[in-house]
Amino acid sequence: MKISYHWLKEYVAFHLTPLELADRLTSVGLVVAEIKPVEDDFCLDIEITSNRPDCLGIIGIAREVAAIVGGSVQFPETNFISVNTEISKAITIVVEEPVLCPHYTARVIRHITVAPSPDWMQKRLRCIGLRPVNNIVDITNYVMMETGQPLHAFDLDKVAEQKILVRRARSGEEIVALNGARRALFHDMLVIADGRKPVAIAGIMGGKETEVSESTRNILLECAQFEPRQVRRTSRSLGIASDSSYRFERGTDPEGIDRASQRATRLIKECSGGEITSGAIQRTSGRHETKKITIRMERLHKVLGTEIKRDRALDILKRLSFKMLNDSENFIDVEVPGFRGDVYREIDLIEEIARIYGYDKIPAKTSVCVRGNTKSKAEIVEDTIRQFLTGLGFYEVKTFSIVDASPLQSVNMWSDRAGIDIANPLRQEESRLRTSLLPSLISAKVYNLNHGTEQIKIFEIAKVYLAGNKLPQEKNCLSLLVDADFLTVKGIFEALLRNLGIVLQCEWVPFSESRLFQDGRASRIQMDGNPVGYCGEASQALGFKAVSCLVEVDHDLLVEKSNSAKKYQDLPQYPAVFRDLALLVNEEVTWSSIEQCIMDTRVDFLKEMKFFDIYRGKQIPAGKKSVAFNLCFQAKDRTLTGEEVDNAQQKIVDTLSRTLGAELRRA
Amino acid sequence: MERAYVFYVLEKRISMVEKLEKLEEIKRNLLDEICSANTQKDAEQLRTKYLGRKGIVNDLMKLIPTLPIDKRVDFGRGVNSLKAEIDAALQELISKLSVQPVSKVKAELFDITLPGKPPFVGKKHPLTQTIDDIKGVFASLGFDVAYGPEVELEYYNFEALNIPTDHPSRTDFDTFYIKEDVLLRSQTSTVQIRIMEKQKPPIRIIAPGRVYRPDTVDARHSFMFHQVEGLLVDEGVSFADLKGVLYQFIKAYFGQNVQMRFRPSFFPFTEPSAEVDISCSICEGKGCSVCSYSGWVEILGAGMVDPNVFKAVHYDAEKYTGFAFGMGVERITMLKYGINDIRLFYENDLRFLSQF
Repeated sequence: MKISYHWLKEYVAFHLTPLELADRLTSVGLVVAEIKPVEDDFCLDIEITSNRPDCLGIIGIAREVAAIVGGSVQFPETNFISVNTEISKAITIVVEEPVLCPHYTARVIRHITVAPSPDWMQKRLRCIGLRPVNNIVDITNYVMMETGQPLHAFDLDKVAEQKILVRRARSGEEIVALNGARRALFHDMLVIADGRKPVAIAGIMGGKETEVSESTRNILLECAQFEPRQVRRTSRSLGIASDSSYRFERGTDPEGIDRASQRATRLIKECSGGEITSGAIQRTSGRHETKKITIRMERLHKVLGTEIKRDRALDILKRLSFKMLNDSENFIDVEVPGFRGDVYREIDLIEEIARIYGYDKIPAKTSVCVRGNTKSKAEIVEDTIRQFLTGLGFYEVKTFSIVDASPLQSVNMWSDRAGIDIANPLRQEESRLRTSLLPSLISAKVYNLNHGTEQIKIFEIAKVYLAGNKLPQEKNCLSLLVDADFLTVKGIFEALLRNLGIVLQCEWVPFSESRLFQDGRASRIQMDGNPVGYCGEASQALGFKAVSCLVEVDHDLLVEKSNSAKKYQDLPQYPAVFRDLALLVNEEVTWSSIEQCIMDTRVDFLKEMKFFDIYRGKQIPAGKKSVAFNLCFQAKDRTLTGEEVDNAQQKIVDTLSRTLGAELRRA
Repeated sequence: MERAYVFYVLEKRISMVEKLEKLEEIKRNLLDEICSANTQKDAEQLRTKYLGRKGIVNDLMKLIPTLPIDKRVDFGRGVNSLKAEIDAALQELISKLSVQPVSKVKAELFDITLPGKPPFVGKKHPLTQTIDDIKGVFASLGFDVAYGPEVELEYYNFEALNIPTDHPSRTDFDTFYIKEDVLLRSQTSTVQIRIMEKQKPPIRIIAPGRVYRPDTVDARHSFMFHQVEGLLVDEGVSFADLKGVLYQFIKAYFGQNVQMRFRPSFFPFTEPSAEVDISCSICEGKGCSVCSYSGWVEILGAGMVDPNVFKAVHYDAEKYTGFAFGMGVERITMLKYGINDIRLFYENDLRFLSQF
C-alpha cells in the first residue's frame, strides 16, 4: 500500500518528518519498506499484513497515526446537493445472492462531462503510482485509496434495460474485462449483470462494454461489499486480480460503504459537473452485528509478562476507536469498530494494547524454569556419521528433494512403486519427489567437474519419498559419492559401521542397476537378509574419466542398529604370531567362502585374518588365482609355541584344500 | 661368506687365543659394514645377520657347550661382550639413519617458505553448521529437537494453524500440492501441532527441517529451503519470556553487541505476533543495501501461540500459554557470512563449501 505524505496530513495532524513517520508506523506493525520523494511529496510504501484491510485506505493509516500521536482523524467532506429526480426511475437493482453480496449501494449522476481530473488529484494519484485516466475513473480510484472501499462507475446508458442484477454467472456467459482479458464465466462466480449479460465480475473488475469513456454522459456508481472467499476464489480461477479484489478478499468495512459512495458522488459533482439524482438504492441483507469484548487486566499482564497500567490500556483502546462500554478495576468492556474485522477476542485486544504500548517497552525476561535437554539416538547417530565422514575428508552436500522425472532420477532401489508427483509443479525440472539421493550427488559431481574440481568425496543425509498410503514413507538415507574404487569405499562403509557400534555381519550380494552402477561392480548390502543399502562403481555411461563409487544406505536402519555402548577390552599381554598364506584356488572361489571356511574350522587362537591381495600371473595356471592373506594367532594367557601355531595353520590349510580345493602356494 | 668366521672359530685346532681374536675380527667386520650402511633396511639386514635367530652371535653361543669346560667361561664372556657391542653399534646406526644426514641438509638449501601440503579436509554443509549452532543454543535452554513429515496433510499446514480455507493469509503461503488434501509443508510450524497432539505441556522443542514453496528460483528465493521452528508451552509463559529466550539465542549466535528489535506483525497461529530484526551486521546499523538502508534486518517471526491453535490440539488456553518462533536457516546463514546468493547452498561447489 503506497501513500502520499501530504495526502495523509489532510486527515490527521502530526509533526513528524517522513523518516520519523516511517519509524513510528513500523513500530506499530505497519512496516514502511520504502520512502521515495515524488515531485514535492513523499511516497511511503507500507506493507500491510493480511489481517489489516482497514489500513488499505489512507484514512486507515491516519487512524493509526492518530493512535500513535494521540490526535484525532478528520474525515473528508461527503455532503452534496441532489436534484429532484428519483433514482428508482433511473435504475432497478436486484441482489439475487445476498450472502455473496451483503451490501450494495447505487447512485446515479447525470449530465456529467468526462475530462481530465483536477491537477491536485492527478498529482496525488501519481505520487502513489496510479496513472490518471479521466475524472470519473480517477475519483473512484481516489476514494478507494482514501477510504479502502472499492467503487465502480458504469456508463449508465450502456446498461441494458436500466437494470442491475447481482447474480451468479450462467453457463456459456463470458465477459471482456476492463484490462482487455476475455474470460468464460461459470456458475460459481458472482457477476453484476444488466438485463441481458454480465457487465462486471463482482468485486474484481468491470466490463469493457460499460466502461466510462469520453462520450459518457450518465453514470451509475456502485459501492458494495462482496463476500471475501467468493472474490478470492473467482479472482484466482479467472487469473484476474485488481486493487479492488485485493481489498474485498481481505474484507471491507460494511459501515464505510455509504460514506465512500457519498464521498465519490460529491467529488464527481465537484469535478465533472452533472446532477446527482436524489437518493441512493441500498440493498442490505442481515444486520451487521457490533462485537463486544471484555478484556481482563490480569490476563493482559499474564500474556505480556509486564504490568501495563489500566489507564494506559484504556487510553490506547480509545485512541484506536474502541468504544468503552464498562470498565472496572479488573476488566474493560469495549465495542469493536466495524472496520476492525480482525479483532473479535480478548487476545486480539491484548495485541492491540501491546502494539501501541510498544513491544520494545516489554522487558526481556528469562523466568522459564531450568530443564535439561535430551538428545535422541537418531541425532547422536547423525552427528557421529557427519563427524566420521568429514574426518575422512568428505564434504557434506545438500541437494533438492524435488527432481525431474528423467530415467536417472526415477531410480528407486527402495520400493517397486513409482515416485510421487507434484500436482502443481512450477517447472518440469522440479516435478517429482526423489526416490534416491544418488542422481543428485552425480549432478553435484558433474557441477564440480565442470568448475575444475576433479576429485571429490561427498555425502548427503536426506529423505527419499516412497509411495505409501495417505502420506508417503519418508526414509532417511545416507548417500556417498567417492572418487575411489569399490574396495576402498566398501572399507569406508565397514569402518563407519564399526564406528556406529554395528557388529552385525553384512552380506554383499550381487546387484544390478545399470542407470547408476557398472554391471558386475555393484552390490546390495544386507543385514539379517534385509537390504541396508547399495554400493557400486559408477556406470561408465555416466561418463566419469576416473573411477567413482556410489553408496546409498538406509539411515533409519543404521540408527536402529547402532549401539553407542562401548566396553573396554584388555590389551593382549602375550605376543601375536602372524603367518602369511597364499592359496591357489579356482577363479569362482570368493573371499567370503574362504573366510567362512576358516571360521567354520574353529581353530584355537586364530584372532584375525586379513586379506592382502589376489595375484594372477605367469606362474598361475589359467582359471586359477592366488589369494594371499595373513593370519594372526594369539592366546590370552601365554605365548604360543611355534608348534601350536603350525598345527593350527595346518588344520586351516587342510580344510581349505578339502572344501575349496585350495592349494598352498608358499608359506 | 659371513658364516665362514664362525667356522674358523669352530675349528678345534685353533687355540682359544686365536678364537678370541676371531671374535675381534667379527667385530671389525661389523664396523666396516656399518660404515657402508645407508638405509634403515641395511641396518635391519645387519641386525638379522649378526643378532638374528640364525645369526652369527647365536651360532657362537651354540659353540659354547662343545668347548672344554675351563674355556667356556672366557669364550662365553667374549661372545656376550661382542653381542653387547654389536647391539650398541646397531642401535647407534639405526638412530643415526632415522634423522636426515646433516650433509644432505648442507647440500640442498631447504626453502621453508614453500607451501604446506594440503591435507584432505571435509566439512559439514554450512546449513548443517547453522542448524547445529541453533540446536546447541536451544539445547542449553532445555529445548529438545523434534521432527515431522515433509509431505503433510493440509490440516497440519493450515487449518490446525488457524489458517482456514480461502483465508487471504493463505496467499502468503503458496504451496506445492501432491493431491487434494496432501501437500509439501510450506513451514515447519506443522511440527508444533504434531507434537502438541502427542504430548501434554510443558513442551519445549525446536524443529529444524526442509520446507517448500512454489517460488521461482533467484538470488533470494528457492523452492526448497530450511526453517527452524521453536515452541514453548507451559503455565505462565509470557511475551516477556519470548523476548528473553530469543535475546539469549540472538546474542549467542550473532554476538554480544547485536541489537534486537521486536515489531508487531501478523501470523495466523500467533497472537500477539512479532517480527524480530537485528542490527545489520554488514553496516553495523549505519545503513547499506543488505538492510535496505534501515540499519535493521529481519531474522525471525514469533509470537504467543494463538488460542485457536490450542483449541485444535485440545489444550486449555486459559491454563496454558506459550510462544512459538520460526526462522529461515538460509537467511540467517547468509546474514552471518555475507552470502549474497541462496543458490550457492544447493550447487555444492566445493570451492564454496570449503569456506565454512
